[in-house]
Amino acid sequence: MNKESFIDCERNRILSVLNFRLPYYFKYIGAVLVVSFFSLILLKSQFPEHIELMRNIGRKVFVIGLLCISLARDKEEDEMTNAIRLQSYTIAFILGVIYAVIMPYVEFGVSNAVQSGGESFKDLGDFQVLSFMFLIQLGFYYTLKRNR
Amino acid sequence: MENRIKIERAILNITQDELAKRIGVSRQTINSIEANRYVPSTVLALKLSGEFGKPVNDFFKLSNDD
Repeated sequence: MNKESFIDCERNRILSVLNFRLPYYFKYIGAVLVVSFFSLILLKSQFPEHIELMRNIGRKVFVIGLLCISLARDKEEDEMTNAIRLQSYTIAFILGVIYAVIMPYVEFGVSNAVQSGGESFKDLGDFQVLSFMFLIQLGFYYTLKRNR
Repeated sequence: MENRIKIERAILNITQDELAKRIGVSRQTINSIEANRYVPSTVLALKLSGEFGKPVNDFFKLSNDD
């Protein structure tokens, strides 16, 4: 394989990853998963011995549900919806980084301001950051789409 | 970027929805292009050119701030 065909092959592979979308019905699957996360929260008190397990499963289900909604195609998909989607991912990424950097200090500061010797400093978990980024992405995507 | 899509569409006597269907985009996309909220890709501009039977330069024009 010569250099140019290798570059073409690599470019095509990257483009196919970038253009990857799930079918439209994954929006509904995602919505069901998100709803089941809230059902798990409600049911958690019924199974006190499995609270940690249910919390972990619920968080994974919630993030996977949001991922399904985020990656699912729209009924009417064109270059403008792709551009809007790209913008929403960009905004979500930037705000997600700011959130992940600043929020631990805010939590620490507020907790210690409210009561002396409050919570110790700790970084955010993956669930908190990922769910924040997905919610921002979906929020911006549908807002931009509605206002186009 | 300024455009004359609305005028060209009026000449052909077609709605935004009809034009959108012909070039395979949503009606909202045509609306956004007409309102200068969205600059279409070269592919879409050439599709519009094909529908209007005119070169792209005839209905898209750079404005002073471009």
